[in-house]
Amino acid sequence: MTALHFTEEQRDCLQELVNVAMGQASDKLARYLATMVHLQVPAIKLVDTQQLPQHFAQRYQQQSVSLISMGFFGDQGLRGEAIMLYQLANVDVLARLLEYSDDDSSEAEMLTDISSVLTTTFLNGLAEQLDNSFSYAAPRILSSRDQHFADKLAATAQQWQLALQVDIRYQLTDYSFHCDMILLIPGEAVLRLRQMLDQILASF
Amino acid sequence: MALNVLICDDSLLARNQLKKSLPADFDATIVTASNGLEALTVLQTQDIGLVFLDLTMPELDGVGVLEAIKAQALDCLVIVVSADIQPQMQQRVMELGALAFIQKPASADKLAAVLHKYGLI
Amino acid sequence: MQLDWLLQPLLSQLNSGVLVLDAELRLVFINQFIARRADVQPEDVQGKSLFDVFTDVPQAWLQRKLQGVLALQVPAFSSWEQRQYIFKLPHLRPLSSDSQYMAQNCSMLPLTAPDGVSRYICLLIEDATDAYVYQQQLQQSVARLQLANRTDGLTGVLNRSYWQQQLSYEIQRAERYQHPLSLLMFDLDKFKQLNDRYGHLGGDAVLVALCARVTTLLRDTDLLGRYGGEEFGVILPETDLTGAMQVAQRICTAVAGQPMHYEQQTIRASVSLGVAAFTAGQSTDALIQQADEALYTAKRQGRNQAVAWRAVNNEYLKKVK
Repeated sequence: MTALHFTEEQRDCLQELVNVAMGQASDKLARYLATMVHLQVPAIKLVDTQQLPQHFAQRYQQQSVSLISMGFFGDQGLRGEAIMLYQLANVDVLARLLEYSDDDSSEAEMLTDISSVLTTTFLNGLAEQLDNSFSYAAPRILSSRDQHFADKLAATAQQWQLALQVDIRYQLTDYSFHCDMILLIPGEAVLRLRQMLDQILASF
Repeated sequence: MALNVLICDDSLLARNQLKKSLPADFDATIVTASNGLEALTVLQTQDIGLVFLDLTMPELDGVGVLEAIKAQALDCLVIVVSADIQPQMQQRVMELGALAFIQKPASADKLAAVLHKYGLI
Repeated sequence: MQLDWLLQPLLSQLNSGVLVLDAELRLVFINQFIARRADVQPEDVQGKSLFDVFTDVPQAWLQRKLQGVLALQVPAFSSWEQRQYIFKLPHLRPLSSDSQYMAQNCSMLPLTAPDGVSRYICLLIEDATDAYVYQQQLQQSVARLQLANRTDGLTGVLNRSYWQQQLSYEIQRAERYQHPLSLLMFDLDKFKQLNDRYGHLGGDAVLVALCARVTTLLRDTDLLGRYGGEEFGVILPETDLTGAMQVAQRICTAVAGQPMHYEQQTIRASVSLGVAAFTAGQSTDALIQQADEALYTAKRQGRNQAVAWRAVNNEYLKKVK
């Protein structure tokens, strides 16, 4: 797995790109929701996909977690799968802000809507800084209200080599919302991403 | 005479990016800090004329630094350089006494324009 | 190489729907896929509001989605699994789908014109009717299997394991909400003699007719199940002992009052019934036991009657044992 290792400079660079992307995403969200979003430093971690299921099983012990997946494709072989994990209580917070009423949308639709907003606002910001652009596959619900989400995560994660774990916390003025986003990236895209980071680092 | 400038950002890339993007004719001596607390220590011990301040940082964030500068009546100009571009946030830092707000990533053009505007070059 | 000439034939032959809207949600373009299925001329609808042309789309819902696309400049999606269709368009499989409209996946994509200012939305509509039809078939098969799994093959009433499982649920519910719940067990009198006289097929026919008759006397929420060979149970939610005894009497009278028919023969049958009301803290087995004891008393007292369980029955039984 040494080939997929990131240097401290590369990690710092990626962290800053994530930071800027989060800022852009939050700005859009804040305007859309007509509320203020308090940004926190997003904790990013590059992890072996094998460790992911255990990590999240521990974090969400005994809680039902929804798992939504969204594929993204960019130029130059940059592609992957973004996974959002949240507790339903957290989704309800956003649903209220987005003015979902119970009768005209199912929970499934609400989950996929919110996931595509959070994922694509963030990924568009990241792509822009990499001089790239992403197209997206429609979001899929891997599991909802499921205590065995870790198994489903394991089945999804094993197809990929590297996971970029982004801990997203949006503190809204009146609500606190927290979810996890995991970017699963295939090996060749990791190499490509490192080249892009090196180019950015070389220019400064 | 060179201006003492503090660049405060938790990201090494962001600090380097800013340093490299400063106009060539900007005569400055640069020190750096990687979080709000470090920045305050520098401000309290050195004579700093201008701070480029990030907002989203561990330990103490940029808003906390601005509040401390105001509370302690430290004599320096602050230009906020941040990814948190929400209008409410921009308004808040201006109210706390920031001179200007620059959206990250800070390009050479944007920096030069702001420095010119306030007569710093 | 100039490829502009490709665009028109490609868009018109594409097997997906393409609609382009401006920021005021007016139609800028629709391709042939949409025009033909919606039976409109592209030049007639150009510049008109989406909602004026397609009057039966879910307007409030779609408007919110499209405003989100414009405001956030991010795509939105709709899947047939959550919303079967957005546009009421015909599909090409009229016989195999139970829906007359095309099931649709829709992507709503933000577009910016080369001027860098004008915003548009592109709606891509994919026909998902095949997937919809397969899923319907699968669901029907699963439903059939589930039904087969919980009913008695001969009489069509609930089988023992499913009936007992339902009894546990009803007991939990009665316990939690402190609602009344009663249990009725009944048995066809002298079934062995019926079998000897009319043969096993005759006996079976009586059981089938018995269940059909009892079913007409029950509410939708009552649960009739086959407990053993000729023994049946009825779960009576929201019913106290008095109410349950009334039901038992009705069943008793209805069975004995009208003979049954099997191959031009008239069969007279009767049932004995035992009734017990659930008391807090009681287990499923204990409740069945009580109703069974009352049923035993009804048999002992001469059959063709209903008996409510009483503590004294219990004492009496203990003595004879």
